[in-house]
Amino acid sequence: MTISKQLDKLLMQVEKPGRYIGGELHTVKKDLSAISTRFGFAFPDTYEIGMSYLGLQIIYHILNSMESVYCERIFAPAEDMENLMKKESLPLFTLETKSPVKDLDILGFTLQYELSFTNVLNMLNLGGIPYRSAERDSSFPFIAAGGPCAFNPEPLADIIDFFMIGDGEDVLPQVCKTHAQWKESAKDKDEFLKSLTKIDGIYVPKFYNPSYYEDGRLKEIKKNFEQAPDRIKKQIVENLNQAEFPEKTIVPLIEPIHDRAVVEIFRGCTRGCRFCQAGMIYRPVRERSKEKIKQIAEKQLKETGHEELSILSLSTSDHSEIESLVKELMSVCKDNNVSLSLPSLRLDSFSFEVLQEIQSYKKTGLTFAPEAGTQRLRDVINKTITDDDIYSGIEKAIELGWTNIKLYFMIGLPTETFEDLDGIVEIAKNITDTNYRITGKRGRFNVTVSVSNFVPKAHTPFQWHPQDTPDTFLEKQLYLKNKLKKIKGVSYSYHETEPSYLEAIFARGDRRLGEVLIKAVTLGCKFDSWREHFKYDLWMQAFQEMGINPNFYVHRERSYDELLPWDIIDSGVTKEFLISENNKAIKGVQSPDCRLYCIGCGINKRVNCAMEGTL
Amino acid sequence: MNKYVVRFYKGGNIRYISHLDLMRLFKRAFKRAGIKLQYSLGFNPHPKISFAQPLSLGYTSSSEYMEFETQLAYSTDLIIENLNSLMPEGLGILSCEKLPDNVKSLAARTKAADYEITIPVNSGIEKDVCNLLREYMSQDQIKVIKHQKKSRKSIEIDIKPLIYSISGDFHNNSILIKTKLAAGNVSNLSPEFVLSTFCEFADIQYERAMVTIKRNDIYFTN
Repeated sequence: MTISKQLDKLLMQVEKPGRYIGGELHTVKKDLSAISTRFGFAFPDTYEIGMSYLGLQIIYHILNSMESVYCERIFAPAEDMENLMKKESLPLFTLETKSPVKDLDILGFTLQYELSFTNVLNMLNLGGIPYRSAERDSSFPFIAAGGPCAFNPEPLADIIDFFMIGDGEDVLPQVCKTHAQWKESAKDKDEFLKSLTKIDGIYVPKFYNPSYYEDGRLKEIKKNFEQAPDRIKKQIVENLNQAEFPEKTIVPLIEPIHDRAVVEIFRGCTRGCRFCQAGMIYRPVRERSKEKIKQIAEKQLKETGHEELSILSLSTSDHSEIESLVKELMSVCKDNNVSLSLPSLRLDSFSFEVLQEIQSYKKTGLTFAPEAGTQRLRDVINKTITDDDIYSGIEKAIELGWTNIKLYFMIGLPTETFEDLDGIVEIAKNITDTNYRITGKRGRFNVTVSVSNFVPKAHTPFQWHPQDTPDTFLEKQLYLKNKLKKIKGVSYSYHETEPSYLEAIFARGDRRLGEVLIKAVTLGCKFDSWREHFKYDLWMQAFQEMGINPNFYVHRERSYDELLPWDIIDSGVTKEFLISENNKAIKGVQSPDCRLYCIGCGINKRVNCAMEGTL
Repeated sequence: MNKYVVRFYKGGNIRYISHLDLMRLFKRAFKRAGIKLQYSLGFNPHPKISFAQPLSLGYTSSSEYMEFETQLAYSTDLIIENLNSLMPEGLGILSCEKLPDNVKSLAARTKAADYEITIPVNSGIEKDVCNLLREYMSQDQIKVIKHQKKSRKSIEIDIKPLIYSISGDFHNNSILIKTKLAAGNVSNLSPEFVLSTFCEFADIQYERAMVTIKRNDIYFTN
């Protein structure tokens, strides 16, 4: 029986069968006989989440525009489907041709969050592919991975054959070309991996052997293939205006999380928040021009028929032409009966003007992200928003009739004290008081305080810091809860501590965690980012059985001279810069936005930094 | 007013998308085809499209009906051609007609629908379907328990009066039932009830996932 036939029977029994059928608008069909590289783009979560990810659309478009390559998509089946697939011995398959993933040449996973790692392994298992690279002979596809979590690849180093670090637009075609040449040459698997090491951004973990001190710290990383690079330089697409961007994006048949046309307006961020990994690893800032953005938006709307348009970037207000861009996009949308949805803008008079116009009837709520409760702590993390910014923005919002304000904070930041938590309470209280002063009413006004747990990330100035213990997090959460519940009109939500703890383990983990991951998957861990699937006890059992103490990765303060597992990855930002930023953080000294003047992160030694000193 | 109705088929893998997904698909297709739909007035305008009757997820159909209102007048040929060039595999427009302004909505006019139910049975079992169906219909009443969404109560109803006609056949190890059932706002019968009550009555073992149901037509009052 072919997979399609087998599938029919299963689809009548599962929730949302549309996840597994493929055939969406703008998906690509190709004649397999003319293909040298069959590439599988795997998103280790369900269809609706994966299809909302813009990177998938970009890579699908770029790879399929190559004649010799066919890129197909693979998502993690939901639990009901997984169980049926196992029962009926149906292997994990691609959506385009319903081929078993084992038949592909390269299976590439995107690593967007640490808590998806178990799904990567589970998907290999469902595809009948052994977990460890060392156990896969030439009958199996090459297993690749990229995305932000590839910046600390070590926890997956024994599983993934090669990582692609940095922007994917240029490196993926190069990898596929190299693959086609290797296939022609009929040499063994290692030869392909060896030839890949010549490409910037490619990390082949098997060519590097780590060794450890008795206390567990990393001692050194020794190469076993001389020509492999000492450090892997991340890939950088220098000019976003020339970079390929899809206009005929795939339009899902069932409703994804984000059902809309999207244009990336710039990559990177100049603000330099010290906790933020994206702000460090996506440097330098590269803008797409207003004209190009408009052109892409109009074409995408025309080709897809989407009813909503959105723009994407970090710190969206920082685009140098943001005001005219938004105004012009608003008129494009109006002409096409399309709604415009904007990520949170900095709340100045312009953004209110825009918000008034695009959500004139339904005021969905305003979001602020002060991240910390006091100016002192905001100086530490280099978040430049001030109390004045918050209050003046909120005053304006209340005057214009907004009744829902959402505030994002983090707890567990370096140097945090209970005074900083009191600061959070004070902000919430001041906002409700401001509302009372302006409207004379207390009812029908809500402030939501949403608190997340700080997870120190690799390649950031805070990479040496310990994470708070789960007990400390709980204590802080309860402290806030008790104080906030006394204020009328304030609701409070916080994250569970256990997933944050697990995230912290893998965010700065080393190669020894690979076996723990395999163990955890064998025990049944998957979909760790889904509350209903997260199984903390099984995770702890996996650590115990493998004899690894997770606290080593989470609660230990590292010293500046310690060799870190991710030091092998060169993000373009120097370690000296990260150290100086951390030292300034401890002293509570801010660093300026790079658009004021260059503060020497090191990226402009690699490529031109166009936004440097432009303000 | 520019009101039209199109008749279309739904088959292949597209049968696995829900009614709401189909609605979204058509809205986007109109946008891409450059056919400007009329929007409702009010705070949250939405395009004026509606269907005669939702088709359950998993069913195929050779004859579905959708009506819509446009801002400008279009030729029916152009509507068929433009929409068909944008339909995914498994969906296609069969015909299009202009509707008079004052006609009631399709949903309000829907009165009956034809279904074809195919039930695979284990090989070696031969059934006299004609006879079984005759006996099934000669019962005084055919009772089912219906769960009412609004009141959240389960009530017992007799579906026999809602089965307008039924006939059957046996070939290729499958029971094939063709039936015309009440449909629409006034009284409506899902073919699932015919499937379950008939199989129970005739003592037929079946696996629901292997049964296919196809809608062949919908009937309207004038």
